[in-house]
Amino acid sequence: MSQTNRHVKLDEVWAKLLDGINHVYQFQGMKKPAYMLLYTHVYDYCISNPNQSRTVPGTSRVHIGGLSRSNGQDGANIVGGELYNKLKNYLKDYLKDVCQSGVDLQGEGVLRFYTNRWEKYQFSSKVMNDFCSYINRHWVQREFNSGRKDIYEIYTMAMDSWQKVVFQPLHKQVTHACLDLIKSERNNEIINTRLISGVIQSYVALGFTEELTNSSHITSPTLTIYRDYFELYFLHDTEQFYRLEAATFLVHNSVTEYLKKVATRLDEEVHRVQSYLHPSTLSILIKKVEEVLIRDQLDAIYTEAKKLLRDERYQDLALLFKLTNRIPNATNELKKIVENHIYEMGINTIERVSGTAINDPKVYIETVIDIHKKFLKLVQESFNGEQGFTAALDKACGKFINNNVVTQSAGSTTKSPELLARYCDALLRKGSKAVEETDLEEKFNQIMIVFNYIEDKDVYQKFYSKMLAKRLVGQLSASDDYEESMISKLKQACGFEYTSKLQRMFQDIGVSKTLLTEYEKYCENHSITDTADFSVMVLSSNSWPFSGSSNFVIPLELKSTFNSFTEFYTHRHNGRKLTWLHQHSKGELQTYFTTQKYILQVSTYQMVVLLLFNKVLTWTVERLQDETQIKSELLLQVILGLLKSKLLICTDINDDEIDEDFKESDIKTHYSIRLSTDFRSKKLRINLNVPLKSVEQKDIEGVHRTIDEDRKMVIQAAIVRIMKARQTLRHALLMQEVIQQLSSRFRPKIPVIKKCIDVLIEKEYLERQSNEKDVLRYLA
Amino acid sequence: MAGHKIKLQSSDGDTFDVEVEIAKQSATIKTMLEDLGMDEEEDVIPLPNVNSAILKKVIQWATHHKDDPPPPEDDENREKNTNDISSWDQDFLKVDQGTLFELILAANYLDIKGLLDVTCKTVANMIKGKTPEEIRRTFNIKNDFTPQEEEQIKKENEWCEEK
Repeated sequence: MSQTNRHVKLDEVWAKLLDGINHVYQFQGMKKPAYMLLYTHVYDYCISNPNQSRTVPGTSRVHIGGLSRSNGQDGANIVGGELYNKLKNYLKDYLKDVCQSGVDLQGEGVLRFYTNRWEKYQFSSKVMNDFCSYINRHWVQREFNSGRKDIYEIYTMAMDSWQKVVFQPLHKQVTHACLDLIKSERNNEIINTRLISGVIQSYVALGFTEELTNSSHITSPTLTIYRDYFELYFLHDTEQFYRLEAATFLVHNSVTEYLKKVATRLDEEVHRVQSYLHPSTLSILIKKVEEVLIRDQLDAIYTEAKKLLRDERYQDLALLFKLTNRIPNATNELKKIVENHIYEMGINTIERVSGTAINDPKVYIETVIDIHKKFLKLVQESFNGEQGFTAALDKACGKFINNNVVTQSAGSTTKSPELLARYCDALLRKGSKAVEETDLEEKFNQIMIVFNYIEDKDVYQKFYSKMLAKRLVGQLSASDDYEESMISKLKQACGFEYTSKLQRMFQDIGVSKTLLTEYEKYCENHSITDTADFSVMVLSSNSWPFSGSSNFVIPLELKSTFNSFTEFYTHRHNGRKLTWLHQHSKGELQTYFTTQKYILQVSTYQMVVLLLFNKVLTWTVERLQDETQIKSELLLQVILGLLKSKLLICTDINDDEIDEDFKESDIKTHYSIRLSTDFRSKKLRINLNVPLKSVEQKDIEGVHRTIDEDRKMVIQAAIVRIMKARQTLRHALLMQEVIQQLSSRFRPKIPVIKKCIDVLIEKEYLERQSNEKDVLRYLA
Repeated sequence: MAGHKIKLQSSDGDTFDVEVEIAKQSATIKTMLEDLGMDEEEDVIPLPNVNSAILKKVIQWATHHKDDPPPPEDDENREKNTNDISSWDQDFLKVDQGTLFELILAANYLDIKGLLDVTCKTVANMIKGKTPEEIRRTFNIKNDFTPQEEEQIKKENEWCEEK
């Protein structure tokens, strides 16, 4: 077949096609028969083998069986290239005209023109692509497979032509017009967003890249055109717009107002992307807006945060936080601000109540609880309960609870645990005002909140056990259930060991009750009848914070009771030693010497003294001491109390001398003490058993004193435990581990740990390694 | 849309009513309908490259396969196999060579991938395992190579000869 022959065929088919193509690109409707005929023309043209008889061998037959399998015998004869080029040239000429008619337009005019022509062009090209699809299947595919990269499917070629002929000369105007419209919208004008979305759609469609791997998709879309010719400028514009807005808005408005505006702006931008930009722009755009509107204004925002905290404007703070949280790491500073604020508020609030709080656990602890409650609410409402802010709250609370005006004026950090323990005591005692059970449960939880902040948990434990002991012995507990609930809460917080003594104490009381019934049976069986009506508690000495009391001569009246119980107990538990804790004992006496019979509630000491008056009506102080063998210091206190109650009379001084200022040291040993036979009282039941002040005071001091000693033991124990496990360890690491192990109970001071290490070296538990002085070794 | 029909006209002027869903197995017709839409008053669609006999067969084939899943994307790596022709298709293609080749052309023209595949595979099976001389006999091809040419081709294709 000769070249001329083919040209004739091409011209023939082109003539047939041109009419249809014109039709399509002038946007006139097309009927199916016409379409099918166009398709058939293209098909016939493509499959017409112009080469019925083969040409000279060697020219057409190349590389048979080579790698390029598409390049078969008829490689040179695949028809389609000329038609493809004709289509391409047609589009080029056509688009030149299109471009010409739009080149002078600006603003919305150019947008309307561009989007309108684009949409139509796109549709026309689709139809043309389809009725020319045999070229795609037949020729384009093979050309592409044989390595030509400038050949596309017809539709893509049409896009490429638009890109080169229309887009390139017009894109500046078009993009500019879009940006102008967007700016108007940002200034609250209503715009025709369809114009922009049309342009965006076109820019996206124009981006494609040759795909090399997959033969069935010759090209794949990319966003290069959209990015380079629109997004870049758009982001630049956005930055400028918002930089200016931030600067001008803040001149006339508060930061909070500004932040509200920022929130709206961010929403608007999200909406903008969703309604007419490409979704891929969203994250970059929002990031840019955040940078300009939030990150670059952080200083002002931080200052505002302090102000809002002061004014307790939690809702505004929530917004502030939400926006700040968008910037990486920006909330760190916010956390510091919150922590400082809570700390200052805590310190100040406590300072205001410190006068009463130092001796009023209720005021102190409830103030602390209120502060915590208030700022917990802040953290939850304004900061979404976020971990970092909860941590800031904890840090601030820990700081002000353990160290504030009250603890400073008490001279020790152990004041807070003491007051907390006393607060618990008040709640758990009979007659506590918080009777409602739910109320109490709530209070317990609050106590645990404060408890968790307390560094010296060991101090709390000491005070708590002391007070628990008193409640149990004195039967002053409001309810066993409450006691147990509190102990189980402490156990949850600090573990079994922390509460084991408390639990033992609790158990002892129960055991004592059964013991007592058994004792009663024992008395019955042994026909012991001469005992006083009495009850006893047997407390294991290492669980209870009681020390032995000064002894006295057991009065005759109690002797048999005392002996029979002792016998009963030692018989049952051979080898156990009973120590009587007289200072915690009490009893009742009835008067027969008065016309009206009174019941006197007295301590055992008082009882011992009073019972002596059964023998003689008058005793000198000296004789009383001889008879009872009570330590004189204590005896004088007992006598003083009884004198004040007017039950006893001192014949050597006037009644009116016994006033507030009268002290036990004013009682001389030669004074005579007489029973007041004409004793009268309005009440039939008189409680003389008031706790001796000096004892209570000494208790508290004692606790404080023993803490340091106890801690040394605990630290030493911890060191030995650690060293036994590790055998050798560096000094610094040992310190770290000790502090870590003990942190749940108290915060050991470093000099104290050092001293403890020295003690242990002295006791030959440890030694310093000879070659490395900072390494310690455990000696078995 | 179910049951909606279009009219196809063969080269010899016969008109066939075909359900749209069946006709859409032809990618050519499918894209056309997508581009131009479905009007109420239907034009007769001319298919000047297919005669009545072949068009009838094509429609028969398409009707049988109307519920087939869409053919998988062409993939270079997918193993191609000529032994997977269904028994219905085997029976359907028990026709003379001329009809078979006309079916291939029609499938190509109408762009019916499934039919093109199965017809081409049938031809491939006719070639498989035959010597060049047998192939020439089967398809009635005259050997127009010169001895030198034949020698050269043999040399070039040595790599694929079974040893």
